[in-house]
Amino acid sequence: MAINAEGDGADPAAGVVATDVHRSFGPVRAVNGVNLTARKGAVTALIGPNGAGKTTLLLVLAGLLAPSSGTVRVAGLDPVTQSSLARTKTGWMPDVFGTWDTLTAREVLTTVADAYRIPRAVARPRVAGLLGLVHLAEYADRPAHVLSRGQKQRLGLARALVHDPEVLLLDEPASGLDPRSRVDLRHLLRDLAADGMTVIVSSHVLSELDELADDAVFMSRGQTVASETMAEASSSLRSWRVGTLSLSTLTAWLTDADIVWRPAPGHRPGIDLPHDEPGAVLVDLAGAEQASELLARMVGARLPVSSLAPAAGALEQAYLALDEERR
Amino acid sequence: MKTRGAWAVSRQGIRTVTVLELRQRIRSTRWVIALVVWFLVVAAITGLTFAVFRSDLIGTDPTQPWIGRTIFGLVVFFVLFLGLLVSPTLSATAINGDRAAGTLATLQVTSLSAAEIVFGKLLASWIAALAFLAVSVPFILIAMSAGGTSAASVLSTLALLAVILAAVCAIGLGFSALTARTPASAVLTYIAVATLTVLSLIAFGLTVPAISSDDQVRLYDVSPAATWDQSGDQQCVWRTQTIRQVHTERTWWLLAINPFVVVADAMPESAIGSAGASAGDQDPMSIIRRGVREARTGPGNEQTRCWSSTQSGPAERPLNRSPVWPWGLAVNVLLGAIAVWFAVRRLRIPQRNLARGTRVA
Repeated sequence: MAINAEGDGADPAAGVVATDVHRSFGPVRAVNGVNLTARKGAVTALIGPNGAGKTTLLLVLAGLLAPSSGTVRVAGLDPVTQSSLARTKTGWMPDVFGTWDTLTAREVLTTVADAYRIPRAVARPRVAGLLGLVHLAEYADRPAHVLSRGQKQRLGLARALVHDPEVLLLDEPASGLDPRSRVDLRHLLRDLAADGMTVIVSSHVLSELDELADDAVFMSRGQTVASETMAEASSSLRSWRVGTLSLSTLTAWLTDADIVWRPAPGHRPGIDLPHDEPGAVLVDLAGAEQASELLARMVGARLPVSSLAPAAGALEQAYLALDEERR
Repeated sequence: MKTRGAWAVSRQGIRTVTVLELRQRIRSTRWVIALVVWFLVVAAITGLTFAVFRSDLIGTDPTQPWIGRTIFGLVVFFVLFLGLLVSPTLSATAINGDRAAGTLATLQVTSLSAAEIVFGKLLASWIAALAFLAVSVPFILIAMSAGGTSAASVLSTLALLAVILAAVCAIGLGFSALTARTPASAVLTYIAVATLTVLSLIAFGLTVPAISSDDQVRLYDVSPAATWDQSGDQQCVWRTQTIRQVHTERTWWLLAINPFVVVADAMPESAIGSAGASAGDQDPMSIIRRGVREARTGPGNEQTRCWSSTQSGPAERPLNRSPVWPWGLAVNVLLGAIAVWFAVRRLRIPQRNLARGTRVA
């Protein structure tokens, strides 16, 4: 697996660069050595288990928390010494947030536009456009407290975009969203990145990020443990699932061909394999080309193969691999 | 574009926060109910005060100026009392309440400075407090119609009430920046108000032994050898005696910081300082005013106990008539200013230290 240790020089074109960032709350070291580079025009996934320090790191990047040590550059600005300027370039959506309940969705966004000193003449069409973008146009003049959790989440996203930031920081943006909204969110973020925005998305729902992220940064116990591009993650050795109509035939062929296999989860691993019945096994392959090659061989051998697909998302596998390294 | 610090303030920024705060409050119906209840309570108190002081119970001509001033004073005191009760609820949860609701950090990351957020919230809670005051104005005017009070003193009283309520709102805001939980800041604000109004009074009373001392005092007293002469006057002589005196000039400020004393002391004086209570100053405002100024003057080292028509004793110790209310008001405003300063410091981002139990977002 191609995992490069972090700490290599900062990319001058980077939207967000964090260098050896530490942040502790009393004795608790929430962020304990983060090195991160988020490219401009790309979506960077921030991945890690609960309590890995993702939220704290985003608070530092958003300019709400000062790092105990280390430096941060957001859109080329230091959120500590150039706080207000950096804030105007940064959009932040927290994982948990409230809304001003008695305000309508439109008023919420107009208030935020006021808070960013956007002239009303500019703000009005922008707010209307954003409400359309997050599919809240029909709720524009209803008070925010009637919105569902997912709708509030979308309103929160629109709020982070009101001032057209250069850097967008999203903390678990997909939580509470229905599948349709998740797809919309993915498309929206891809569009924003294509327009040159730097997008950082934290999540632990890895399947979400597979198609969304260009780069991935893994965090564990307050540290960045690895980072890689999605291309790297996809080409690295990972499990593929081979479905078959006859397990005994397939496993016999795999063993003959010297291909290491193991029972797929959910198919009663262990003693009763192989059976002459439908099932699946896992094989480790390095990327799609190898998969294609294997498929051709299996079809050539007239094996009763019904499917061949990655056993899990690229990020999930990379993440789990890291998790194992840590143990 | 320049980097704006935590103390940068613009009118537009403050207005944004104030409008946001007021919109959130005004749209809740509780607010209207509170104003209606307030209106009815002040109306009831005004009516009852009139009923009592216009009745035969007083046993004096009800058109005397001091009766009118008493009615005015009681209504104003009641409005101040209610204002001190309500103002903390308007501001004492403004910051930690927003933090708990998850709406504070999203405001902090905008271009608004910490000072704009704090001043905007202060202004909003003050406007709300002024709304309660405005509802009371008709009754204050009705009380004024009872006579004895000038229009100028009505205006100055209203202005003082407004400033005191602003200070209380500011103190509440400071506590809401201090504590993580909203009940704690509400309780602390009420304790602060109680300290200014009631506890200070109790402290004044309880410190009497501590400020009492046996002093050598020159007394102009009836001569021990004196006999009544033909004219009926006393023979008086100077002598020195040790008597126990209460030096209230050391603790008068405990009275001065009281908002009720501030309001009373600022009323234009009628017949203050004359020996004995003249008919002009038997109203509560005048009694408080005279009391606090006497406390400030304190006992002298000369006293006269001789009331002679022929012999001139020492001039009566002059009462320090300089107004006390500027001191009291200054203390209240200073406390509010400290609270605002503290709140702005607490809202500065990026935050270096987090108070125990608080979250950023």
